[in-house]
Amino acid sequence: MSAMAASGEHWRALARLVRAEVRTYIRLALVLTVGASLPLAGPLLVRRVVDLAASGSASTADVVGPATAYLVIAIASQFLAVFVTWLATVTAWNTANRLRLELAEHVLSLDLEFHRTHSPGELIQRIDGDITSVSDFLSKIVAKAVSALLLVLGMVVVLTVLNWRLGLGFAVYALIAGWIAGRTRDRAVGETVTEMAAHAKMYGGIEERLTAGEDLRSNRAGPHVMWRFIQDNTEVLAASMRSEKAFIAFWARVQLTLIVGVAIALGGSAWFLQAGAISLGTTLLLVQYALMLRRPLEDLVDDFDVIQKASGAMVRVGELQATRSALADNGSASPPPGALSVECVGLGFHYGDGDPILTKVNLSIPAGRTVGLVGRTGGGKTTLARLVLRLADATEGQLLLGGVPIQDLPLGELRSRVAMIPQEVHLLAGSVRENVTLFDASVSDDRVVDALTRAGLAKLVAGGIHRRLGGDELSLSAGEEQLLSMARIWLRDPDLIVLDEATARIDPKTEERLHDALAELTQGRTALIVAHRLSTLHSVDEIVVIDGGRILEHGNRASLEADPNSEYRRMLDLGLEAQR
Amino acid sequence: MRGRPPGTWRLAWRISQHKPKPLWLGTLLFTIFFCFPVLTGLVVAGALRAIEAQNTGRAIGFAFLLILTELGRIVSIYYGIIWFIRAWELMQGLMRANMLHAQVVSGGKDAGRPVASAGEALSTFRDDPEDVADFVDSWLDVTGGLAFTIIAVVLLGSIDRVATAVIFVPMAVVVLLTKLLDDRIKRYRRLDREATVAFTGQLGDVLSAATTIKLNDAHAPVLAKLGQLAERRRYTGVRDRVLEESLQTTSSGFAEVALGVMLLVSAGSLAAGNLTTADLALFVVLLGYLGFLPRMLGRMLARRKQSVVALDNMRRLVAGQDGANVAAPRHLPIDLADPQPEVIAEVPRIPLEQLRVSGLTVSFPAVDGAERVEVVSGANLVLKRGSFTVITGPVGSGKTTLLRAVLGLAHRATVGGTVAWNGQEVADRGQFFAPPQAAFLPQVPNLISDSLGDNVVLGSADAELDWALELSAVAADVAAMPDGVDTLIGPRGVRLSGGQRQRVATARALARRPELLVLDDLSSALDVETEKLLWQNLSDAGITVLCVSHRLVAFDLADQVLEMEDGRLKPRSSSTDSV
Repeated sequence: MSAMAASGEHWRALARLVRAEVRTYIRLALVLTVGASLPLAGPLLVRRVVDLAASGSASTADVVGPATAYLVIAIASQFLAVFVTWLATVTAWNTANRLRLELAEHVLSLDLEFHRTHSPGELIQRIDGDITSVSDFLSKIVAKAVSALLLVLGMVVVLTVLNWRLGLGFAVYALIAGWIAGRTRDRAVGETVTEMAAHAKMYGGIEERLTAGEDLRSNRAGPHVMWRFIQDNTEVLAASMRSEKAFIAFWARVQLTLIVGVAIALGGSAWFLQAGAISLGTTLLLVQYALMLRRPLEDLVDDFDVIQKASGAMVRVGELQATRSALADNGSASPPPGALSVECVGLGFHYGDGDPILTKVNLSIPAGRTVGLVGRTGGGKTTLARLVLRLADATEGQLLLGGVPIQDLPLGELRSRVAMIPQEVHLLAGSVRENVTLFDASVSDDRVVDALTRAGLAKLVAGGIHRRLGGDELSLSAGEEQLLSMARIWLRDPDLIVLDEATARIDPKTEERLHDALAELTQGRTALIVAHRLSTLHSVDEIVVIDGGRILEHGNRASLEADPNSEYRRMLDLGLEAQR
Repeated sequence: MRGRPPGTWRLAWRISQHKPKPLWLGTLLFTIFFCFPVLTGLVVAGALRAIEAQNTGRAIGFAFLLILTELGRIVSIYYGIIWFIRAWELMQGLMRANMLHAQVVSGGKDAGRPVASAGEALSTFRDDPEDVADFVDSWLDVTGGLAFTIIAVVLLGSIDRVATAVIFVPMAVVVLLTKLLDDRIKRYRRLDREATVAFTGQLGDVLSAATTIKLNDAHAPVLAKLGQLAERRRYTGVRDRVLEESLQTTSSGFAEVALGVMLLVSAGSLAAGNLTTADLALFVVLLGYLGFLPRMLGRMLARRKQSVVALDNMRRLVAGQDGANVAAPRHLPIDLADPQPEVIAEVPRIPLEQLRVSGLTVSFPAVDGAERVEVVSGANLVLKRGSFTVITGPVGSGKTTLLRAVLGLAHRATVGGTVAWNGQEVADRGQFFAPPQAAFLPQVPNLISDSLGDNVVLGSADAELDWALELSAVAADVAAMPDGVDTLIGPRGVRLSGGQRQRVATARALARRPELLVLDDLSSALDVETEKLLWQNLSDAGITVLCVSHRLVAFDLADQVLEMEDGRLKPRSSSTDSV
């Protein structure tokens, strides 16, 4: 049914999405062809009954034949329809799952800036919600639309055989009807995109507020949260009203076109019949065929929201697929094996149009050294660490690892050679083991136990590493979560380690116990340790003091400690707890 | 539904009656719309009679009448849908509002148990209200279908009783089939929802942890795990949808089967000419719509089953066991021009003289053969007005749990012992320990994507924004931002640095000058100078402070320092001074 055709852009988007499963879709089309031709026979049989009755000489037995055939075909159609549904659903789900995983992989590969500006709730909606819309479209709509199209073709063929003028008239009518429906449809699509954006915003807001539930409860923020929700909900309401109005305008046009078709069939038949060109049975056949167009169309209208959502979703999926990471991955140089040196030359960084976070940073750290980065929060320590991991590219200057500019290293090699324990701890739904290995099944249980023990979580190991984390079963304190996140590093063999406030949530006693394990870890590797608590750094080789995006001081720890005029000494004197 | 108070029907009814006007108008207009095909059938039959009589002019007149009828049908559905969509969204808004309210309200009778994973809960917010609204939607269809069916049956019965009667045989088969598959629909739907939640929950976790995964070079195994969950969901999804769609296909194919049965039964009357072509046309047109009622009945039953599951999911997020709170009416402005509701409920301030915690015990229930874990054992604590109390102790010793239990936030644990404010026991601590009485700053605070100022003020009329920013040492950072307090901080505050996030959250806790301020470890947010200044400022402001800290600067200023060790709270031994 070309009336339901998406615009060229949407079809191209869809074609790209389903390219991988082309064969299954062809098989589906074949089954649909058989399914579409069966219903054509019904009205032909009714025509036979009417013409027999009109002849005035028919017996009951004459009518029973076509009536029985009608019933048999009607029942067979039912079974075929169920089969078609099954095939269409399986096919659509295969496509949908492939797309979900491809998109998830793609989104994970995008840069930090992308994740900073898109909440997980919004991304769930775009990866899962949008793909579900596309999948519903494929399973519910495309099959129906294709069989409707085949049905129209079949009708044209049958009518042409009966009387070529009827066939021609019907074909012209079907084309006009399709054109009218297609023209109105696109206007409705724009409204759907707005509606889905309103939904995404609302769900994103809900997800954030659920995550912040404890903060909000303990600060009596309930009424405020509810007011913000109502604002979002009102936008959703307004957007869906607009989108529904656009839909109904489209639907009305299609219905009118159809009924005009029936009216023409009736008026035309009256004229043809009077001219003796057709029988009364053929008149009823025409009316039946015209009415048969309405049913698949109303099915499609029932699912119109699915079409609308899918059209919007296809565009959005395409947009997401087209979003490229700001970090080009086209390097091919490899620094020498072993510990990596770090060198910053005139390094500067700022977000978008924001103020500079790092300015003209020049820093040289030889391979194998352990260096503490200290300074006030917001001074640029974390940003520098992120640049070393290439979570973002510097806006000025250059950063070299092992003498190779960081952009020239393939990202895969960079990620495997440089490891970072970030400030934020993220756990996933799964067992203790799965959270340490991040679902890597090839890591042995022994290694996991060893890593957890080194990270000071012997107590957790004792309870079993296959226990599920979170929820009612096993909840960890913020400090334990951080230790667990830290344990991941013992499963790897990096050449450069960055600890970004990795022990900030851990009390000094526990940190003290970790000390030897960390010292062993940094052996033979370069390590950058960002810390607030200066006691964390009591055995590093060098100290770098950063403030206001600049390097204030860089030197040997022991000599800075001994120098009464050094910034580091001053900080030590203030940070009373670092005195031992 | 019987034996399950209040049942799905009753809950859905309450939800539908929250804003009844759009729903009733929608129902009326839908019913008119559904009855229009009777006119269409009569007009088509009239036209065929004219054609048979070879009266072309009369036939063309009927053709025009047909178009007029259709226009009437379109007008009724246009307004019907506009009213109904409003009702449909309002119903969903009500359910979502009730769930969200239960998740963020500070204690009281409406407070629900916090969700374990926001990602998992999101699908309950997204899909379950829609299922219930769709159930109510099916009532409209059934009402309209019923009205049409009665009129059509009377009309057709007046033409041929036997032919009309046999139509109901296939109709009965469809209804019976739906009934038989009822339980299966429910089970398939539940399993599918579970698989969906498992997938979206994992997807949400993965997206939140995108950086962590990147840093650990763990794309491949994480995506493989997602793939497994997606495959499981495909299996349950296909099964669920094929069953539902098949039932619908069968119900809609009813018309053809019914016409076949009718032709067979009426073969005699047709051959004899007792049943005319025009009569047959009326049967054909009306049969096309008679399938509607059984189809909609089937859909209503299926949707009821889905609603049972949906209401059960939503029930978990609200207070109470029976789900009544999902349907609780509330004031929902639907137009932004409506006045903003009073954002901060007037909670009278009760100046703190003394807070006494006695015999506080917290334990987590036994799971999977693991023993019941007692995290805090018999903690006693007395805070005097204006005093400064520090709790210290190793990771996992129960410090945070202790704070949460005092504040009534330990929702998953069993809590024993009492907390008394000025000598009076606090019954609902979750409700009581929020501003202006108390404020809490978690160790890892969560901000939301709003302006920085909104995150601190949280809609409160008496919040002291500037003072709070100054006190929490973030005022200088804010002043340096081009948009100042109007700076949008991005999802979860990602546009701020980790330290800024924590200091903004500190300002949030301070903004309403709570009598008691409870702070979990601040040391990752503040440098020593600032921390010292903060303690001094709090002391000057006369705010009573209970905090977790490991810093000597805190110990020095503290009126008492307590140490947690393996769940026991005791005065700090001097030997730990050296850390």
